[in-house]
Amino acid sequence: MTRDLETAAATAGPRTGPEGGPAAPGHRRGWKRVVAVAAIAGPGLVAANAGNDAAGIATYASAGSQFVYGTLFFMVLVTVALVMVQEMAVRLGAYTGKGLGALIREQFSLRLTALAVFCLLLANTGLVVSEFAGIGAAFELLGVPKWAVIPPAAVLLWALVLFGSYRWAERIFLLMSLAFFAYPVAMVLGHPDWGQVGSHLLIPHVQGGQAFILLAVALIGTTVSPYMQFYAAAGVVDRGAKPEDYKLIRADAVIGAVFACVISLTIIIATASAIGGTGPLQSAAQAAEALKPVAGQGAELLFAFGLIGASALAGAVVPLSASYAVGEAAGVERSVSRRFRDAPLFLGLFTVQIILGAAVAMTPVDVIQLLIGTQVLQGLISPVVLVYLLVLTNRRTVLGAAANGPRYRIAATVVVLAVAAMSTILLVQTLLSWLGLG
Amino acid sequence: MTTSARLRNRRVQLVRRATTSKAVRGSLVSVAGLVGAPVANQAAEEVGRVVDVVARLYGADPYPPLTGLVIRIGRRRAFLMADAIEQVAAGRVRLRTARMDLREYERRPGEVLLARDVLDHQLVDVDGIQVTRAADLYLAPLADRIVLVGVDVSLPTLLRRLGPRRWQARPTPERVLDWQAVAPFAEHATDGPAQVRLRGPRSGLHQMRPADLADVLEDLGRSERQQLLAWLEPAAAADALEEMEPGELENLLREAGPKYAARMMEEMEPDEAVDALRDLGQGERESLLDRMPAAQATGLRSLLAHREGTAGGAMTTRLVTAGREHTVAQVRAMLAQQSEHRTEIDAVAVLDPDGRLLADVPLFHLTVAEDAATLGEMVDWLAQFGPQAVVGPDTRIDEAADQLLASRASSLLVVDEHERPVGRMLADDVLDTLLPERGRRHFRRFLQ
Repeated sequence: MTRDLETAAATAGPRTGPEGGPAAPGHRRGWKRVVAVAAIAGPGLVAANAGNDAAGIATYASAGSQFVYGTLFFMVLVTVALVMVQEMAVRLGAYTGKGLGALIREQFSLRLTALAVFCLLLANTGLVVSEFAGIGAAFELLGVPKWAVIPPAAVLLWALVLFGSYRWAERIFLLMSLAFFAYPVAMVLGHPDWGQVGSHLLIPHVQGGQAFILLAVALIGTTVSPYMQFYAAAGVVDRGAKPEDYKLIRADAVIGAVFACVISLTIIIATASAIGGTGPLQSAAQAAEALKPVAGQGAELLFAFGLIGASALAGAVVPLSASYAVGEAAGVERSVSRRFRDAPLFLGLFTVQIILGAAVAMTPVDVIQLLIGTQVLQGLISPVVLVYLLVLTNRRTVLGAAANGPRYRIAATVVVLAVAAMSTILLVQTLLSWLGLG
Repeated sequence: MTTSARLRNRRVQLVRRATTSKAVRGSLVSVAGLVGAPVANQAAEEVGRVVDVVARLYGADPYPPLTGLVIRIGRRRAFLMADAIEQVAAGRVRLRTARMDLREYERRPGEVLLARDVLDHQLVDVDGIQVTRAADLYLAPLADRIVLVGVDVSLPTLLRRLGPRRWQARPTPERVLDWQAVAPFAEHATDGPAQVRLRGPRSGLHQMRPADLADVLEDLGRSERQQLLAWLEPAAAADALEEMEPGELENLLREAGPKYAARMMEEMEPDEAVDALRDLGQGERESLLDRMPAAQATGLRSLLAHREGTAGGAMTTRLVTAGREHTVAQVRAMLAQQSEHRTEIDAVAVLDPDGRLLADVPLFHLTVAEDAATLGEMVDWLAQFGPQAVVGPDTRIDEAADQLLASRASSLLVVDEHERPVGRMLADDVLDTLLPERGRRHFRRFLQ
């Protein structure tokens, strides 16, 4: 367990080892209890907060600029969904000691497993695209063209992961992405209309129109990303959490989900009060506006800084987590310390995702639209993964007494159906608009 | 051999291999391809479809014989005995008779549903020493029966199963493990006695090196890990546990249930057991210690009292001591009795009648000494090299390492303030504490 602590702690806050290195047993005494808690609590928190990456920021900022406070109530619903979904994922991990990929392979037919894996890969590759696009956009803010940045960034991330020094780079990226913690401050300094914020948070405001639904699906996609469930379950398993730890794990998952959503809400509100009502977000520079109350002229710099950190961090972790889930489902070697010949599927998938992600991000597309588009894709795929999650947590043969009770089952089904319904509406609308009927 | 002869030879071999593989392929029946396959009676009329294949895993036979099929007839599931089956071929089953004795399937001890319990589940490849998943299982006719011969773990086979129906039935033996080289897990048992156990001689598990076994244990899911542990003798399990990463070990002990955990702790060497106990919470530690024999628990408790990072915290309490009057032959006999602790014994401490240390005699000296020589003579001989290096229980490990280097020994005695030996610090334990944590760099480690 020690070996996981460092990264968990690096993300969650408290550090374990003296220099942040793997906490050697000798250094653990005093922190013992704190560390034990942090060791088990963590995956949920980290997984949920991983949603606040480049694509997430773009989506939340766009929600604020386009619909001002209009999406706030919807985000509250998304929060409930995220809490339930993450809770189910960590429950599976804690009670079975297996990752989601492994459970799906054991419990569903191979074809259904392949479908789940395919969805995950598709969604994740989209996400990798958006991470590289995020790196590109951040450097463009600093005046460096993206074609000069993305290829070296891709090679660098790939090499960092495969040749093992990624763990140090990761800390730097994490520190950089802390720049986004300026959003809550910016929200307060930006003097939003608190009355409006309150009423939009509590009273449903539903707007019709494709743009709103598109954004709503993107909000689901970025908040309830398919890879997060795989990630949360794997994290719990890896920490060796057992059923007795479940209360702690659940608390962590719930707090993590709520915390992530609160940050998302502050991004929406801060952006809404800065540039609300100016229509869809046009550029990263515009998104940076929201940070002006905190950083003034340095807002763009601060934003770029955070964006680079968040994107680089997720740019490595997201494709790896997909490779890991696929490797788990296929039952093949999965470790970055293996050679290509020993773990061809695992390392191959990782490499392909990075190449694809970087290549697509290089194309001359509207970056912000691309980022949101990715989240829409995620939103469309989410229901598929959620159905697996729901079926698994409903099964008594898998979870025994910890399986969903009747009431929880209904609630979770409603959540999954609601997410699926949103996706379907979006799909239908898109099809209609292609046919010129929309 | 000329080049052309070599080439010809090679071609002959290739052709031979291809034909063998074709012949083998022709006789194999894929279990994955069998699921959902039609079952026809003698009159070639379809009577139902295969749901699962039942085999008796742990009988006397080297390869588990097929005992029957679970088939779906309309909406009913019924069990079809093996002797009603005329032929099992790729993707179809033909029955011997038109009449069928259909019964509800009830699992008998030792029986496993191959598709539900083994296919796509984790198993341990004992020869290749790794944890893998069964991509397909192959049946083959052997004498008058159909037996399970092997497990396919290759990726192409997985892809084949994703393809259309007729691909599914076609065996693709790419990487097939002999059934005897595999330890499968199948836990979905009925209420009866535990169905799964490991057949002693077949299991290469017992021949696996502890470090390999530790790797395998780390890769398994929780229930599989517990099953594997239950199959092992506590002594073998303890050896593997000593090799595990501290975190993994901690998890495993916590999962294993206090009774079994205490049993394994008893088998572990004291210094390793103390390391493991240190990582557990106060309550768990006490509950394990309470379940151990009193003497052993007291020993471990006293070791636990030493701080980590000191010689006392890293030493083993297993000591072999002798007096001046003992002969080398006597000491050798004493050592012979301790052979199971050979990894912990590095030298023999010679004590005066008060129990104070006179000298620490390395095993090498004992090996080359005359049988009749007394330890007293050896102590006197060793005295010419000056006082021997010892450390106190509170000596820091890095200081102890310096001492170890300076004395060019492979272990150091730990003595109390009265020069009485309390334990021994072995070089590997010094290394363990000083080296940065290594282990395999799994992706998981920085997933977070």
